[in-house]
Amino acid sequence: MRHVTIALAGSAALLVAGCVQTRQYADVQFAPPSGDYKLLVMRPDVSVGSVTTGGLTEARADWTEAARTKLLAALRAQQAGRGGNVLILDRRDSLPGVGAETIAELERLHGAVGNSIALHKYLGEDLPTKRRKGLDWTLGAQAVALGQRTGMDYALFLHAEDSFASTGRVALQVLGIAGCIVGFCAPNVGGGSQFAYASLVDLRTGEVVWFNVLQSKIGDIRTDAGAAEMVERLLGRMKPGREVRRAMRAGV
Amino acid sequence: MTLLDRRSLLIAGGALAAASATGTATARVPPSSMVPLIGPGYRPVDADERGMWQQMERVEEEIAGSNLVVQDAALAGYLKGLIGKVGGPAARDFRIYLVRIPDFNALMFPTGMAVIFTGLLLRMRNEAQLAGVIAHEAAHFLRKHQIRQWRDMRTRTDIFAMLAMGAGIAGGAAGVNTGDISQLGQLGTILSLLRYNRGLEAEADAMGVRLLAEQGYDPRAMAETWAQLIAEEKLSAKYRRKRRHRDISLFGTHPSPESRMADLRLSAADVMRPGAIYDARHASYLAAIGKIRSTLLDDQVKLNDPGASLYIVNNLAQDGWNGLLRYSEAEIYRLHNRAGFDEHAARSYAVAVQYPDAPADAWRWHGIMLSKAGRREEARAALTRYLALAPNAPDAAFVRQMLVS
Repeated sequence: MRHVTIALAGSAALLVAGCVQTRQYADVQFAPPSGDYKLLVMRPDVSVGSVTTGGLTEARADWTEAARTKLLAALRAQQAGRGGNVLILDRRDSLPGVGAETIAELERLHGAVGNSIALHKYLGEDLPTKRRKGLDWTLGAQAVALGQRTGMDYALFLHAEDSFASTGRVALQVLGIAGCIVGFCAPNVGGGSQFAYASLVDLRTGEVVWFNVLQSKIGDIRTDAGAAEMVERLLGRMKPGREVRRAMRAGV
Repeated sequence: MTLLDRRSLLIAGGALAAASATGTATARVPPSSMVPLIGPGYRPVDADERGMWQQMERVEEEIAGSNLVVQDAALAGYLKGLIGKVGGPAARDFRIYLVRIPDFNALMFPTGMAVIFTGLLLRMRNEAQLAGVIAHEAAHFLRKHQIRQWRDMRTRTDIFAMLAMGAGIAGGAAGVNTGDISQLGQLGTILSLLRYNRGLEAEADAMGVRLLAEQGYDPRAMAETWAQLIAEEKLSAKYRRKRRHRDISLFGTHPSPESRMADLRLSAADVMRPGAIYDARHASYLAAIGKIRSTLLDDQVKLNDPGASLYIVNNLAQDGWNGLLRYSEAEIYRLHNRAGFDEHAARSYAVAVQYPDAPADAWRWHGIMLSKAGRREEARAALTRYLALAPNAPDAAFVRQMLVS
């Protein structure tokens, strides 16, 4: 339910743009993690479904399982390439020494903060107090405490949805385009689409340092290549924050 | 034709189409026809249902871990025992959570997770009434209602999408704009979805009655629950000087309480066998919820819905007044602060303290009311009694000071 706002932000953006779109925000001081960092991936929330003829999305358990496995493998490979050590949480209680309730609390807190980011950064409800401040949200002391207890540097929250048009839906799309011949054009019958977001929290400060939303009408995260593609689109091109970029320019 | 005309025509046409397609009433489902569609240990097989179950995993985790869940092992065990009794073949598969929300409601998730609101426990007079609601929810699972409803919705939206596209293309070929007809079709689709929902509620009622009677509970308890709800809504509206809100039954997802009550009465008569003993089980219910009843009443009283709260207190008092109920009655009057209610409150506090189970706060407010009325000595006695019962109350020092001065 907490993804509703974020999903809304995504679909609004999709209307304006083309097939694949990402939009990222970063803390002004953000420098993308590099070198020997430790990343904790919080239970990725993945769902894959089929779009019925009438346009409803029907969840598919087998596709979701496949996509989750492929996405995690792709994420491991991608992060290893950057030098990071990745620990992926499968369940709330799979972190030794940390109670399931602590993880649950942090997930809920991030749900609320993530919604706020979606509302004020992606849905156009600008906050005057946060203007020109990049990404200025924090999970606070709870996140810092988790970092201290686990020795992790960053936490990554990941949500991914993918859907595919059913045969009936494809037929409807074909009809909508074929209708143009007789003057009834309906070329906008939606098919499958991807929606994902990633949120990076610095566990040393508790701040949400980087946030990215991905919208795409192409791709298939049930396959190795498709999963790698989504991870690359979502996490591959992390831009440093404004002040870091400025310092880099000045240095050059 | 003006826009306004066209719109009113559309609404009238839609209502007409829906009325002819669905009829406004849902026929009663005979309890004998309600057999469970699943056995013990049911797991989904079809792709759509498996997808639905998987999506529910995190939902259940979230609800089970919510801080709204009442942490009371004895009460949780009691509710689990009840759904184990009236849960038919899936009795052992259910999970049941009590959440602290002062509202009349209960939910069943497609995976067999039931959620009961504390507002429901407050309103039930006996175990049969509570078991009736739980049996109704269990029936949703036993009859696979959620997946059946999803499939129905899928089929209808599929058909609508194809028809709308077909009509559009045919209209395009003939040079007619079919926008209005398509909108009418959409309304028809929505209305037929709701009818399917009402049909499922009727099924759950019929099966609930049957499950209840099979366990020796008085099956008439389910109709009583609805009678209580109707009366409560009426009194609530009266105190707010409003008419009781009635949903237009065409648009309701549930049948109206009146028609459900009538059907439940008939169904109860269907399932009762001459010579069999049916029980309301009042004592076991009180024993189970007795400890939290003051919290339940307090949550309700603080909603400041005096009509509903007074109805609830008076309804529970049909099984005998006691100090807690009288105290709650007094609180309802005092918090509403309407002309004349102060005297009502004072009288109810005075009656409440006559009972041995009167809460300490009843003595406190009785004392304050007496003091306001200028009866100083009696007020002192009441407040002294309050301090004796609650020596560590947050305001104990203050009250002691009052007594000294």
